[in-house]
Amino acid sequence: MQETPDNKTHFGFKTVEEDKKVELVADVFHSVAAKYDIMNDVLSMGIHRIWKRFTVDCSGVRQGQKVLDLAGGTGDLTAKFSRIVGAKGQVVLADINDSMLKVGRTKLRDMGIEGNVSYVQANAEELPFPDNHFDLITIAFGLRNVTDKDKALASMYRVLKPGGRLLVLEFSKPVYTPVEKFYDFYSFNILPKLGKLIANDSESYQYLAESIRMHPDQDTLKEMMNNVGFEGTEYFNLSAGIVALHRGYKY
Amino acid sequence: MPLTNLLCGLLETGVNQLHQLDSSAVIKRKQLNGTIISASLKELNFPLYFVISDQQVDVLNKFEGQADCNIRVSFNALNKLQDNHQLTHLIKTGQLEVDGDIQLVQQFAKLLTDMDIDWEEHLSHKVGDVIAHKLCYHAKKIHQGSLAQFNKVEKQTALYVTEEIKLAPSGLEVAYFCEQVKTLETQADKLLLSLNNKLEQLAVKSNKRLGANSLAGK
Repeated sequence: MQETPDNKTHFGFKTVEEDKKVELVADVFHSVAAKYDIMNDVLSMGIHRIWKRFTVDCSGVRQGQKVLDLAGGTGDLTAKFSRIVGAKGQVVLADINDSMLKVGRTKLRDMGIEGNVSYVQANAEELPFPDNHFDLITIAFGLRNVTDKDKALASMYRVLKPGGRLLVLEFSKPVYTPVEKFYDFYSFNILPKLGKLIANDSESYQYLAESIRMHPDQDTLKEMMNNVGFEGTEYFNLSAGIVALHRGYKY
Repeated sequence: MPLTNLLCGLLETGVNQLHQLDSSAVIKRKQLNGTIISASLKELNFPLYFVISDQQVDVLNKFEGQADCNIRVSFNALNKLQDNHQLTHLIKTGQLEVDGDIQLVQQFAKLLTDMDIDWEEHLSHKVGDVIAHKLCYHAKKIHQGSLAQFNKVEKQTALYVTEEIKLAPSGLEVAYFCEQVKTLETQADKLLLSLNNKLEQLAVKSNKRLGANSLAGK
């Protein structure tokens, strides 16, 4: 990872003022919210469903537990968790972006999921929840858009109950060179074109590809999680490392 | 791991798609709302967890909590599960192991296997009544015809094997042969018994004679 000067952070390959990044990321997601689900299916060729399924399997969530789905977007994971924790449990879908949150809320209500799900617009760096509150926190494809990742991880550690776990599902570094070559070609040449074609928005998908490259690799993220206090941290490479699931416990 | 995830995903999608077509599935799911059932095949020992809710059935292959009911069933007992009368029999013969409420098992089996889908009705929305009826009518005919044909072929092959090329004996021949073996067995037993008796008698006699001789020698 390249160092950035004080008060600057990266937005894709560009370097921007730290306080601007939130706005810029927000613009990206305001513009893709409506077509978010269909784009996910097209761009990942449906594989994102399997990644999310693996995440649910690793969550160890049970009836009656409290779950926070951070950067939950359109609520794929929330829907699943809501059915598993049942009426006595609670799932909070939190996203910093109100467009995404609205799309997610509409989708979940249409599916008939209500009662144990609440919706909160929140910044991952300063979570508006009490200490030791959740049994499980998931953040799927969200951490890379957070400006200060260490602060966000520390904030998650704070609201997690002792014995709880954090799952970070995020794009990562492919473990095989041929896969990496193909993946680079796909994300810089095909992905923005598909974005243009379907959502009429190539910049957002250009940003997606760039932000993935700027995200810390598997071991760096593991180290970052350990630094804020998580224990027993491990990661699973999925699809040859294109995506990695990190799991950490708070004891 | 992702392969099992893929399998679970396909199973989940399949079941829920079928449930969409089945009007009675909603009521059945309501009865089981909130229950988690762990089910595994005896042959595979690979548990699947079915999370049943009002909205749909979720299939997980890992669950760390306590399931409401654990079922282990062998593969050939699968389609007998929905029959109430067979359940005790299946448990007795060890084809089914249940840890939890047996009533849940029945409802669960009904939910998965007893789907009341009117294919003709669903098809008619797509292609119109007449074609849907014709298609279903012919499909049924073909199904019945192929079943009859299959039975016929089976019978004929059996006849050919037993009567024409004499590769295998027919049922009656086998029964007759078994009968003969049984008679032979009883006869052999009888012979053995009488032989034993005779031998014992001989042994007793020779012992007596030996005893008499030794007495005379003194």
